Amino acid sequence: MSNETILNIDNIKVYYGDLLAVRDISLSIKRGQIVSIIGANGAGKSTILKTISGLLSPRGGTIKFLGEDITGHKPFKTVAKGISMVPEGRHIFPRLTVRENLLIGAYTPKARHQSEKACKKIFSLFPILEERADQLGTNLSGGEQQMLAIGRALMSDPQLILFDEISLGLSPLIIKDIYQKIKDINNEGITVLLVEQDIKRSLKASEWTYVLQEGRVVLQGKPDSLTEVQIRKAYFGA
Amino acid sequence: MDRAGKIRISLLILIIVVLASVSVFGDRYTKMLFMLIFLYMALGQFWNLLGGYSGLVSLGQQIFIGLGGYTLAVTVLNYNFPIWLGVLTGGIVCLVFALIISKAIFRMSGVYFSIGTWVVAESLAIWFSNWEYVEMGQGLFIKPAKLFSVSDIYYLSMIVGIGSVILVYFLLRSKLGLALMAMRDNPGASEVCGVSVFKNKLYCYLISSFGTGIVAGVLYMNIIFIQPNQAFGIDWTVALVFISIIGGIGTIEGPIIGAVVYVLLQQWLSNFSSASMLVLGIIAILIMLILPRGIMGTIQQKLGFEILSPRRYL
Amino acid sequence: MEEYFQLILNGILLGGLYAAVGVGLSMMFGIVKQVNLAHGDLMILASYLCMVLITHLKFLNLWTAVILVVPIMFAVGFLLQKYIMNRVQGMGMEPPLIVAFGLSIIIQNGLMLIFSPDSQSLETPLAIMSLRVTDMFYIPAIYVIDFLTGIALIIFLHLFFKYSYLGWAIRAASDDENTAQLMGIDTRNIYAWAMGIAISSAAVSGILIGATKNFYPHTGPQYLIIAFGVTIIGGVGSMAGTLLGGLVLGLAQLLGGKIFGPGYQLLSGYIILLALLAVRPQGLLSKAGRAD
Ligand SMILES: Nc1ncnc2c1ncn2[C@@H]1O[C@H](COP(=O)(O)OP(=O)(O)O)[C@@H](O)[C@H]1O
Ligand SMILES: [Mg+2]
Repeated sequence: MSNETILNIDNIKVYYGDLLAVRDISLSIKRGQIVSIIGANGAGKSTILKTISGLLSPRGGTIKFLGEDITGHKPFKTVAKGISMVPEGRHIFPRLTVRENLLIGAYTPKARHQSEKACKKIFSLFPILEERADQLGTNLSGGEQQMLAIGRALMSDPQLILFDEISLGLSPLIIKDIYQKIKDINNEGITVLLVEQDIKRSLKASEWTYVLQEGRVVLQGKPDSLTEVQIRKAYFGA
Repeated sequence: MDRAGKIRISLLILIIVVLASVSVFGDRYTKMLFMLIFLYMALGQFWNLLGGYSGLVSLGQQIFIGLGGYTLAVTVLNYNFPIWLGVLTGGIVCLVFALIISKAIFRMSGVYFSIGTWVVAESLAIWFSNWEYVEMGQGLFIKPAKLFSVSDIYYLSMIVGIGSVILVYFLLRSKLGLALMAMRDNPGASEVCGVSVFKNKLYCYLISSFGTGIVAGVLYMNIIFIQPNQAFGIDWTVALVFISIIGGIGTIEGPIIGAVVYVLLQQWLSNFSSASMLVLGIIAILIMLILPRGIMGTIQQKLGFEILSPRRYL
Repeated sequence: MEEYFQLILNGILLGGLYAAVGVGLSMMFGIVKQVNLAHGDLMILASYLCMVLITHLKFLNLWTAVILVVPIMFAVGFLLQKYIMNRVQGMGMEPPLIVAFGLSIIIQNGLMLIFSPDSQSLETPLAIMSLRVTDMFYIPAIYVIDFLTGIALIIFLHLFFKYSYLGWAIRAASDDENTAQLMGIDTRNIYAWAMGIAISSAAVSGILIGATKNFYPHTGPQYLIIAFGVTIIGGVGSMAGTLLGGLVLGLAQLLGGKIFGPGYQLLSGYIILLALLAVRPQGLLSKAGRAD
């Protein structure tokens, strides 16, 4: 595993109107890692992911991807550079079929050339999607929709993929299955940043974790080096 | 009464005296200008009451201009009503018509409402153009109105103009107005009080229709001739939208400033009516792109106060 | 009897034309959730543009002019969305509505200043040709062309949305703007493309109108209302619905005119539209709730 830094966030501040949701956060991810961010509801996890992907712009600080400054770049630029995101709540396009949902994931010119090949690869990763290829995305079960959302994000051939609460509302069996797939994806060399409220699951899956509280990083480290007491304290501020 | 209240009342009296004296000292042309400003100001207030405060962007205010004008013409010509009664009847006809169509158009929201009201106006234009009772498309000549002097109509216009401002001002300060503004500024909250939202909007619509009908009567006392395509034409709404947005949508001062600008612009370009409409269109777009709050709205935002604030600070 | 048969046939043919009039408006309504109040005026602008090309620039005929007018109107729509409408998008309902309203006024009065209020028409040999159905009963050839072009336009758009990347991107952006961006779609640019396509379709229908009927600077709003009617009857954004909407309005106008007198042609269409707006604003075909 190389030591190259793929994503480097330095002191970003993100606001919603006047509300400061992310306060001076810095974090850094090395190529090939699985990194997790945990924190209570409203801690600012989704805000960080949205800022990396470009849906939100920080009002201070910088974001570098592979050494290049991408602060404030719109998502269509960050996606083309190799960052992909699975949004919280899946957000399958309701009027598109499963196949169309996947193909739209390969919208960038570079990915579009390979879209048929990429589609086949997703079907072998999630065979259920092939069976349902011509149904509307919204007709799938929650777990299948999550697979579709992950597949769709992979279609652009990303180097870094952001997962926002993918286990939300799914049964433990399906969650286990999906986390196995994340391992598979990571083994192919894709760097993973995942956000979860489910502490145990994400600690087990990741090599490094950041604990967020009210928009600040209050604790970070290798998951096995953090004690439960430390985490609980950081998590609940008690 | 507090100090600010006293100052306001004295100012109002001063303004009325000054404006009334225009009728004595001003020449015919000046009087005409002021008259038009008063009337458009009133029409603008009633449009703004809907578009600026109730979220009802009507493209069909010409419904009530046409109905108000035609009622005046028909009652005066066919039934020998005195003019004042004709104008009042016009307002009542508008109120009743608004009540009837509200059953249908209040089931529409947003842009559906806008176009729905417009289609009603277009339908009326067609209906009146084919209705023998009102001489079809030829129109009616409101002869008895010629008895009135320019000064008479001037005072009447002044009354409806200033009256509309006062009416809207107090309306907005009432419970109804506060509810409307709360709804406008905080759409989430409006869902909580579901039923009263509908009622408040309906009241506003009825008041606006009645007011517009009355103003239309005074307007047609001056124009004297009424014809369906003109009376029910979209050009009225173009003017009202322009007046409200240039002054500042959702402010009481907005339509006053807007009416002044509109009437002066009309005079300036009066020989080329297409050109003046063209200029209005361009200004409307520029305002939306550059100053979406209009002149008054922008001043209020910059200075942080409202001259005619309908808000009551508790 | 035969008279009614003829009327119904003409109504259906007119319906195809109306579907073409409405399809662009319906499409944009579905995508940006805004009614382009200048839709009818942009149509009529295309009619005038075509007229200028034919008469003043001595172009060969109507069909060669079309090849120029449609791309020009595409550019108009694209630039309009990119540099004006996109700037007021997301500011609530009034600003986009008022900007489009302003544009409508500009086009109408601009045409008025340049071309006078006189009515115009596009000269084409087709206008005087007709097809014989029975001895008593002929249909104007241009009606058939209107109908076929309208259908072709709708089929083309349907295939475009179903099978092209741009089509998927437009549908995705209209369903969920943020998520579409996460797919790498520059949604603002996509809206401009969509408007370009919508206005191209308006241009096609404007040229058909010009070849079929008289037009003058203030004809636009009349077609806007028809386009809106088609959209409401068929359901916002539905291609098949557009066709239904066109047929309903076409038949309503001709039958209404027959029953109540020619002065009431438009009125019959308006009444149907109002009734529908009040009762079923989401359209006849739609199962879902309100479209807005
Ligand atoms: N669209 C928004 N507008 C205003 N505030 C928001 C918005 N989205 C999130 N917030 C606020 O920002 C903070 C962080 O939210 P978020 O990043 O979604 O938290 P998390 O994903 O950790 O649950 C919360 O206080 C939340 O209320
Ligand atoms: Mg979240």
